[in-house]
Amino acid sequence: MSVRIRHLHQRELRFLGLLALTALLIALYLSDELRLAEQQGRGWRSIDLEALQRRVETGELRDREADWYRPSAAEEIEASGGRP
Amino acid sequence: MREVTCELCPRACVIPEGGAGDCRVRVNLGGKLRATTYGRPSAIHIDPMEKKPLYHFRPGSPVFSIATAGCNLHCLNCQNWQLSQRGGEEMETLYRADPPDLIKAAREEGCRSIAYTYSDPIVFYEYVYDSSELAHREGLANVFITAGYINRKPLRKLCRVLDAANVDLKAFDEDFYRRVSDASLRPVLDALVTLREEGVWLEVTNLLIPTLNDDLAMIRRMVRWLRDELGEGTPLHFSRFQPQYRMRNLPPTPAEALDRARREALDGGLKYVYIGNIPGHEGGSTYCPTDGTRLIGRTGFWITENRLTADGRCPTCNEEIPGVWE
Repeated sequence: MSVRIRHLHQRELRFLGLLALTALLIALYLSDELRLAEQQGRGWRSIDLEALQRRVETGELRDREADWYRPSAAEEIEASGGRP
Repeated sequence: MREVTCELCPRACVIPEGGAGDCRVRVNLGGKLRATTYGRPSAIHIDPMEKKPLYHFRPGSPVFSIATAGCNLHCLNCQNWQLSQRGGEEMETLYRADPPDLIKAAREEGCRSIAYTYSDPIVFYEYVYDSSELAHREGLANVFITAGYINRKPLRKLCRVLDAANVDLKAFDEDFYRRVSDASLRPVLDALVTLREEGVWLEVTNLLIPTLNDDLAMIRRMVRWLRDELGEGTPLHFSRFQPQYRMRNLPPTPAEALDRARREALDGGLKYVYIGNIPGHEGGSTYCPTDGTRLIGRTGFWITENRLTADGRCPTCNEEIPGVWE
């Protein structure tokens, strides 16, 4: 049985490149969405931390410690030397 | 990454260092949760008490009303989204008003009450608590205008310094809460019961949105729950929806729908049922549940007539009307 090997033409290479680029863009988009979904699932938001800190430094905002919070479980375990 | 878990509201946000809670204003800085808008309100107004709405608490009195940025709900029809759906660092206006400044300003403006309102004051809990404690010492009352999405323990502690609350019960339906407010109903019902148990004067508002929560069967269930769990004397305000923010596709609530809801609630056993956001509507006034005498007449937020006796009774049949009438 003879196998015919045909080399890819320039046009086909360009097409494959385009396909790969599209796949990459889709993957990037999906991973970003997944990251956001995970973030929202845990209830937190990313903010403009620089702007916040700037306004805290000028006294426009405050860094008063809040009530009603605790270190998350993993942090607690770490703080207790691994004993939960 | 020193993560913290916020235990203030049922969201229980797990916040990494440098991140904020879902409310945008409780921020993890250096492994500690910070209340970034403490003493930094973005809205300060003097309103009539009726605007809150509180109809059975010091009627006609001016109330010093404040709010900071942020909210733990994200209602598609939010009236104050420019304030509530932003973090402190995004606000153009930030007043410097620590609790003593707040009390001083309220007194200078002739207000005997302070309202924590507009956005949900749950997210500036520490500021509310400290201001309220000081306000009590200075003889001022505290009113809390909220959607009631808060955990029991912090609410119970806050109740020590609150005098009145209006809770926005958005619908008697879990699905509505999930789709419209990104929240859930159960904690709100728990908060209502806690406020009642702790003796805070309580009124309830239900914004009636066409097709979403104006079903009479749902209203009947809600009324039954309010009557059985909170008591028949609990004032209920049906408020008219106006299209805004991300819910512009629905029309304003027709007056007939509000009338039907009010009739249903009165038939269901609630004694004081009001209609809001329709100035001049007869459902904006207070009537004696025994003989129907009009006790307090209102047009919009303004009182046109007050026939209640000094001790809060109907002048014709002597029925005692629940409320704080001083």
